[in-house]
Amino acid sequence: MSNPTIVRSQKGWLAFPENVWRSIFRNPLPNSDYGRSSTSFTNFFLHIHPVKVHRHSLKATYTWGLGLMATFLFLILTVTGILLMFYYVPSTTQAYDRMLDLRGTVAFGIFLRNMHRWSAHAMVAVVFLHMCRVFLTGAYKPPREFNWVIGVFLFLVTLFLSFTGYLLPWDQLAFWAITVGTSIAGYAPLVGKEMRFLLLGDSTVGQEALLRFYVLHVAVLPVVLTGLVTIHFWRIRKDGGLARPAEEEEGTTDSSTAQGGPVVAGMTMAVAAGAAGSAAALPKRSFGIQGLVRGPLVKAGSIENRTLFSWPNLFQAELLVFVISVAVILVVSLFFNAPLEEPVNVMHPPNPAKAPWYFLGLQEQVSYSAFWGGIGVPGLEVLLLLLVPYIDRKPVGVGQWFPHERMLANTLFLTFAILNVALVVIGTFFRGANWEFVSPW
Amino acid sequence: MTKNLTKTAAEGGPEDLGRRRMLTWLSGFGLFGSLMISAVSNFIFIKPRATYGQPNKFAIGKPEDFPSGARMSLDVRRVCIVREGNKVGAISTTCTHLGCIVSVAETGFACPCHGSHYDQDGYVTSGPAPKALAWYQVTLAPNGDLVVDKDNEVEAGTYLKV
Repeated sequence: MSNPTIVRSQKGWLAFPENVWRSIFRNPLPNSDYGRSSTSFTNFFLHIHPVKVHRHSLKATYTWGLGLMATFLFLILTVTGILLMFYYVPSTTQAYDRMLDLRGTVAFGIFLRNMHRWSAHAMVAVVFLHMCRVFLTGAYKPPREFNWVIGVFLFLVTLFLSFTGYLLPWDQLAFWAITVGTSIAGYAPLVGKEMRFLLLGDSTVGQEALLRFYVLHVAVLPVVLTGLVTIHFWRIRKDGGLARPAEEEEGTTDSSTAQGGPVVAGMTMAVAAGAAGSAAALPKRSFGIQGLVRGPLVKAGSIENRTLFSWPNLFQAELLVFVISVAVILVVSLFFNAPLEEPVNVMHPPNPAKAPWYFLGLQEQVSYSAFWGGIGVPGLEVLLLLLVPYIDRKPVGVGQWFPHERMLANTLFLTFAILNVALVVIGTFFRGANWEFVSPW
Repeated sequence: MTKNLTKTAAEGGPEDLGRRRMLTWLSGFGLFGSLMISAVSNFIFIKPRATYGQPNKFAIGKPEDFPSGARMSLDVRRVCIVREGNKVGAISTTCTHLGCIVSVAETGFACPCHGSHYDQDGYVTSGPAPKALAWYQVTLAPNGDLVVDKDNEVEAGTYLKV
């Protein structure tokens, strides 16, 4: 037997439960470093984690757990969403009644709907904050450029998921928010009108649009999001874990390594050829169990003082983020009900007709110019976001908050971020009937 | 490579790299072409050939249902029927800005969503609306019903004499 921790019991039928347990869990609870490595390595759910993780990546004040939080919110959304599907009918004549049923007759119906709605809002906010964290700490720099690009797409898919979900209750808010939202799409040059027609399946928001948004919301977009998240996570590992400052890296401070050269490193179990040498002579190439991995990685020589075993350090941290995320959503859902307005009345738009809060910045821009506010400016902003890691490639100021070297980039980004947040605040609190300026006080 | 190609092609031996390369290219094109065709087919599939919502050409009633001076907004049809003397016209009530339904106001039309205002003939007087409200063709059906055709936009101020 190659793995000495797996001991097959021979005690006969009395050992049946133990044999079953051991057939499922390959390792007993670890009490040695070897056991800790083996547990992370052989468990399906744990093996997407590294065996050891850098101390810097575990610092709560570095990541604030935002990426994990977004993932856990998506998990809550998937579970509550599937449960809500048992009672929901995507029909203009039934959808709203089903909302009332969730409120009145379905056990925990209102609670599940609250959880789904508040998690959706939270996910939009958390994904945005996660993007801010990654930008402000320069974590998009080589070799992580493409993972940033995937992240931008994840943000867009999150928004689109939220948008498609917004129509499903078929109340006034839903109908008019989608009417305004899809009209914005109609302003896109050349393909705008066609895109709008494809999205709505008709010239106005009606039964076809409801069905299409439902399919997008429960099937197409969640699959796309799951696929992108999988690649996002896989690349984190392949790019050498979370970004960290060069000075945290022993023996890898030279720029060729930070540029993402084909440096290969094994983790704990790696047989790093030449690792016995001094720190200065650390190998640029070595071969480990995990094969060829790009980017600055944990080096055999620096493991002792810079890294910790994932079991239990990383898993405890993840569990903490999970518990906090679920607890907050549960408590909020207990005390605040998801809004439900009057049923759709195509003859009487509410005044003002407002989109979901995260689109109110867009709606505010749209009130000045439909094309520039709805397509031009947001399109340019997304393009700029996608290009950021290819424009700013200098490997300085990575992995720390507000480094001096990144003053210009961070100032520019914060200006854009604050401007967008300000537009959302104006659209939410300072706009009344006919979109005229009102004071909330 | 060319030399090798002519030689082996003549011999027809297993070392026929030229043929192999051509077959690779052809299968590549085939695969790529099939992918493109399936992508286009999917687009054709999701673009509805018939819509199930409101028809764009509909009867609105007899001319005498609309007294002179009436500005009657048929919100479900998203059209406002205007009668002046013996002339009947149809103005769209879908805001040209972002598709909300404009309401009939004293000065013309007003949009509740982003505050666009239009005059009696649908021309923009204020707000973010980029262009005037559309006018639609009104015809008289053989049974005496007025028929509005929303697929047929006409110049502003085009009326049907009844």
